[in-house]
Amino acid sequence: MRRHEAPEPGSGDSQPGIPNEPLIAFVGQPNCGKSTLFNALAGFKANTGNFPGTSVAITQSRVAFAGLHARIVDLPGTYSLTPRDGAEEVTRRFLSEHRADAVIAVVDASVLSRSVELTLELLETGLPMVVALNMMDEARRKGIEVDVAALEARLGVPVVPTVATRGEGVVAVAIRAMTAAKARRPGIPPVYDRDIEESLAGLQEAAPRGLADSLRVPQRFLAVRLLEADPFLLKHLDRDAANRDFLDLAAAQRQHLAELHGWPEESVFGSHRHAAAVDLFESVATVRSRTRRSKRERLDDVLMHPFWGLVFAALALAALFLVAFLVGDRVASLVQRPFNALGQALLPAGVTGFWADVGRGLLDGIAGGAGIVLPYLVPLLLIMSVMEDVGYLPRAAFLVDGLLHRVGLHGKSIIPLILGYGCNVPGILGTRILESPRDRVITALLVPLTACSARTVIILALVAATLGPLAALGIYLLNIVVTALAARLLSAIVPGTAPGLLMDIPPYRIPPVRAVLRKVWFRVREFLVAAWPVLIVASVFLGVLTYLGIDRWVNEALRPVTVGVLGLPEAVGVTLFFGILRKELSLVMLFQALGTTDVASVLTAAQLVTFTLFVTFYVPCVSTLAAQVREVGWRWTLVGVGLNTSIALGVAVIARLAMGG
Amino acid sequence: MTLADATVGRLLKVIGRNAPRHGGGETIAGLGIHVGEEVIVVRAAPVSGPILVEVPSSGVRVAMGRGMAEAVVVEPADAAA
Repeated sequence: MRRHEAPEPGSGDSQPGIPNEPLIAFVGQPNCGKSTLFNALAGFKANTGNFPGTSVAITQSRVAFAGLHARIVDLPGTYSLTPRDGAEEVTRRFLSEHRADAVIAVVDASVLSRSVELTLELLETGLPMVVALNMMDEARRKGIEVDVAALEARLGVPVVPTVATRGEGVVAVAIRAMTAAKARRPGIPPVYDRDIEESLAGLQEAAPRGLADSLRVPQRFLAVRLLEADPFLLKHLDRDAANRDFLDLAAAQRQHLAELHGWPEESVFGSHRHAAAVDLFESVATVRSRTRRSKRERLDDVLMHPFWGLVFAALALAALFLVAFLVGDRVASLVQRPFNALGQALLPAGVTGFWADVGRGLLDGIAGGAGIVLPYLVPLLLIMSVMEDVGYLPRAAFLVDGLLHRVGLHGKSIIPLILGYGCNVPGILGTRILESPRDRVITALLVPLTACSARTVIILALVAATLGPLAALGIYLLNIVVTALAARLLSAIVPGTAPGLLMDIPPYRIPPVRAVLRKVWFRVREFLVAAWPVLIVASVFLGVLTYLGIDRWVNEALRPVTVGVLGLPEAVGVTLFFGILRKELSLVMLFQALGTTDVASVLTAAQLVTFTLFVTFYVPCVSTLAAQVREVGWRWTLVGVGLNTSIALGVAVIARLAMGG
Repeated sequence: MTLADATVGRLLKVIGRNAPRHGGGETIAGLGIHVGEEVIVVRAAPVSGPILVEVPSSGVRVAMGRGMAEAVVVEPADAAA
């Protein structure tokens, strides 16, 4: 049934592994702790999240225990094998293309009856399987006791209790899965009501000879998926005219069952599997009723309160920026000091020539990156990762959904937008948590408007340092208002419909420190690998331009905008233009262009604000653009560029006029 | 009656499902809200925002926008069936 020499359609990783190195797939519903379990085995190689659908990208790793080797892969969380979005489809395809030798079905013991439904579906695939009964600690707190031996007997596969956050049972699961991959013994698929079983038997009988084998699935799985009207399979089978009669029979059976049970056709089978899951749950678990309100409920009374919850959210955001103001500013000057000293020692102000300009560019590039990463990016990402893994972000989405709907946004959009304040790139990647393409486009075009750490640096250096922290706060508030207006505009332009909010609210969890650090490291690494080199190259490039005197031409060409429209000195033209390469370059280049770091001595207050606002709103850096192209395509990226530029010009001109610049 | 007009704190029974106006209804069952299940609206978000629905039998908690909530037909759990 599972022949590995067969070609694997659409497979992305057909690299040959070590012989006898089975591929083990982690499958589970969102928030069941699947990624945490995976990471506990894989070490510092994967990303983990507490928000439904965070693990969109497939992560792979190699492990070895007790002399056994395996490749492990973390598949996106899915509620069922009938895919509802791109991420879930990845999981479904991975399983139906038989790329796994065994499955670790991760089950959240604290919501066992729901979680085990996916396990029942997985049993039907006939893949060798081990169940990781995760979150045993949470289940015990809720008063749920599970009879592991009874569950094993019912499912016909090994069941290992685990607490992934503490690493309990993790190695045992891996070893059992490796053994299962070798033994190739499938579990016991669920048995349904008699009429369903009759339909299944009829379909298995009528199935075209060799069809199940050609799909490399068990006969029963094929019949089950057809009764479920699995769109994935129906589309696949419909391509071959020889299957028409069989598909018609399946449709007739579905209708027959729907009439028999008085339920809508598409939910008959799902309801029966649900009943099977509930029956299983009741036979293997006992629940002691709780008497007192849990900590979660008491915490939610405040954090999800219609009024106090919003107050808390606002305070949390304010705290986020306070960290940027207080910590970042101090650390930044500490980080910059050695670079400045080095610059003065190696290239004193009098030295000129090609290599001096290039050298200054190189040093500025390195210093610029260091000045962003350590003081601003790391603390912001740290706080955001904690908020994400504790389970606060879904609650924030719940609270603001109503408000965001007023401007045509989805509640979940708040998450990429918040992430955008750290760095726009993870923000744009974060739009994948949104189900509808429309919401994804709107949010991906809004993220570049949020003031990322690079722009925070500029706001702090130019506005907070010269006009005071209140002025900087004003810029942030303006930023939020403008983003809301842009959302309104985009929701009128971007076509399509958006399903309403539907989101699991997981219990609060204290994330393992390692998991948080790992996540921060991944996002910082993204910056180090993708953005910092660009920053350094761009900075050197700028040094060359300075040497060649090309910056003067750029300034001349941009003069109508910089001097005419914005009322800024001509010298900032090159700064604005090449700021696209990296936002933080704008500051470095501004210092270069003006020939001083004491900008207040050269620019008026109005000019400072105009410049800062323009830089804040206008085209994001190349890394962000690249991410945007990848997520929403060229056309929408161009719309975004147009939007950014118009907003930047508009806001900057209004500021100039208002401040009498 | 649908979940959208349910009172907070009252035990309800799901008796049917409509297709939500903007689609996405399949996920409702995936998240654990099935026909025949008892549910409670635990809290409501401000400015006609979503509601938080709990399924006491499984402990599942799901946030649901108004459009989605309108698609879930319920009746009081104590009503004579």
